[in-house]
Amino acid sequence: MSLRLSTAPHIRSPRSSTRLMLNVIIALMPAAFFGVYNYGVKALMVILVSMATAVLSEFSWQKITQRPVRIRDCSALVTGLILALVVTPETPWWMIMIGSAFAIIVVKELFGGIGDNFLNPALAARAMLLASWPSVLTTHTAIVSKFGEVDAVAMATPLASNLEELGIKFSYMDLLIGRIPGVIGETCKLAIIVGFVYLILSRTVTWRIPAFTVLSAFVFAWIFGLDPLYTILSGGLIFAAAFMANDYTTSPMSSYAQIVYACGIGLITVIIRKWGSYPEGATYAVLFMNLLTPLLDRYIPHKVYGHKKTGEVKAQ
Amino acid sequence: MKVTFKRGVHLSYANKNATKSLPVRDFVSDEVRIIMNMHIGAPSVPCVKKGDHVLLGQVIAEPVGFLGIPVHASVSGEVTDVGTIPYLGETPVQCVTIKNDFKDEWAPLTPLGDVETVDPALIVPAIKNAGICGMGGASFPTHVKLSPKPEQKCELVIVNGAECETHLTCDHRLMLEEGERIVDGLRAVMRALSVERGVICIEDNKPDAIENMRRLCATRSGVSVQVLKTKYPQGGEKQLIEAVTGRQVPVGKLPIDVGAVVCNVGTCAAISDAIRLGRPLISRITTVTGCVKEPANLRVRIGTVAEDMIGACGGFSEEAGKVAFGGGMTGLCIPNTDIPTAKSTNGIVVYNEKDAKSIDEGPCIRCGKCVAACPIGLNPYLIKRAADADRLDEAARLSVNDCILCGCCSYECPSRRWLTASFKIVKQKLAAQAKAKGGKA
Repeated sequence: MSLRLSTAPHIRSPRSSTRLMLNVIIALMPAAFFGVYNYGVKALMVILVSMATAVLSEFSWQKITQRPVRIRDCSALVTGLILALVVTPETPWWMIMIGSAFAIIVVKELFGGIGDNFLNPALAARAMLLASWPSVLTTHTAIVSKFGEVDAVAMATPLASNLEELGIKFSYMDLLIGRIPGVIGETCKLAIIVGFVYLILSRTVTWRIPAFTVLSAFVFAWIFGLDPLYTILSGGLIFAAAFMANDYTTSPMSSYAQIVYACGIGLITVIIRKWGSYPEGATYAVLFMNLLTPLLDRYIPHKVYGHKKTGEVKAQ
Repeated sequence: MKVTFKRGVHLSYANKNATKSLPVRDFVSDEVRIIMNMHIGAPSVPCVKKGDHVLLGQVIAEPVGFLGIPVHASVSGEVTDVGTIPYLGETPVQCVTIKNDFKDEWAPLTPLGDVETVDPALIVPAIKNAGICGMGGASFPTHVKLSPKPEQKCELVIVNGAECETHLTCDHRLMLEEGERIVDGLRAVMRALSVERGVICIEDNKPDAIENMRRLCATRSGVSVQVLKTKYPQGGEKQLIEAVTGRQVPVGKLPIDVGAVVCNVGTCAAISDAIRLGRPLISRITTVTGCVKEPANLRVRIGTVAEDMIGACGGFSEEAGKVAFGGGMTGLCIPNTDIPTAKSTNGIVVYNEKDAKSIDEGPCIRCGKCVAACPIGLNPYLIKRAADADRLDEAARLSVNDCILCGCCSYECPSRRWLTASFKIVKQKLAAQAKAKGGKA
């Protein structure tokens, strides 16, 4: 009889990388369904093109550079899906392909692939698209028709900063259930929250970063004289908190660093919304805090058991 | 109030169901192979030779050095061999083989009587003479733990009944069936150290054990039950102290330096026997589970060979891929089943080929699950990177030496990286390096 030998532990958690990525995809489904329900087949096309391009870009890049092909971990699918959910359904197919390929090749693979990118690929791609084609990405067709009213004017994302100029104010209920114009996946907060609850229950992510992001945005909005509830329910804040701020690779490790990081996102989002000329803040807030992640990891690690001082963790 | 430590992981304990409600069975084999280094410290030196007839409980090896404890015959019968056998480590170990005559003739014993009335000064020597070492896994000689320096003051005796490891239920059954021995042993330790307070710590997934121990503690002075949250590694010594006292044992110090002494429930039961009956440590309860036909908790003589115990449980239920001494998180693999168990062997777990298959490492996705799990507060992903690059100094700076090898990081890692395994190697290399430099290993 021959027995195998290995070092403990002999059991592993059922949550493999692939499983975690699939969990994220499942959690994004309510938001994606709502987007397709609202915007119809063109939204579905954007989602499918984005996901397919992401996987294809990763596959080709890894083939060309002769690195192990890792599309089976499903992380490219997640990136493609998230990117699709943060653009408008009017985004042309070629534009979403550029965005998706940019996310995978430039933001992720050029920096070493999964685990080594320092920016959230989907968000960085969104920022690139926003900078390159601002008019396409910030104009949304109203979709209130589905709810009985017919209103087909193009308008910007409903954010406190520009609403007064437009003379439109949505009710909290409109914001919560997504009876507002916006990008494919960000409008219905309820769908996002349902997905997020699944992420928590399946132990895919922890509550800390999303909770502190939203909470700090609420508090800072209140301090700066914005409507706090409106601030957190409008724009992409909740989506960013639930699915982008807590991206594994680009968020800090220790619980203390995570709180600082999340509060930073809340603060910057509110600052951009209050004083910035650009209506949406969450994208740039997350990207900015992504850049601070290595510093936070280094200076705010967990305290080591039995040591007096918190030691500085120097990344290699 | 339930207490716990920082971080850790939540495991599935369904694998305990096979044995947790079965009464302990006695199993005595025809032969025992008693190894000489069952405890941490210098191996004991055999004082019997081939052909000698030994009585049950007779000293067969003398202690050596400060950490030494004697070894006793766990059966009566004839010594058939004194030699070396391969064991879990890299070097062979000395071993005394005894053929059992099944007469169980005891060597002369000197009981000290009731633990409440015995002269406290006699307790620690009796524990040493009984050959008792930690039975939870670490096998640290108990008499050393109970001999504090004058400046060290023990305030609290903690009995470890957490049993946070997967698969194992031997401590659970002991608390249910022989709780009296545990409380007696705890009282003996408290009296030896003149401590007023003793707590028996049990995780909240064992409500029957909590109830039984509470009932037994009610009539005794200074002892109580502390309920713990079920979380791994709750039964790690440092984590248990953190949970119960809120204090952390400083680096390089011992539990006694924060006023605590921790003993496993099995150790306490052995102490009780040593005082009340004068009996040395000759048997223990071991969980045999996994892919065996009839999983069980066996009370076996020290030195019983794994093969015999698996046979006593009906043999393998399917082809065995891997057999380990201990639970799923910290168990040590044995190369074959011809290996004897020792004083600290709390379980034999048989894994099938599917569960034993080696797992390929994926790339680190920086998910932080290892950081969120580490009960010590380390950054396993960074230590692994240093380990892979063979940068020992970097690993040491990241406090790899504080790692308790609990396995939480490896368990959680979605990329199935061999974190704990590489830390074990790094720690060994660092120890060898320190030794080579002439420092303390």
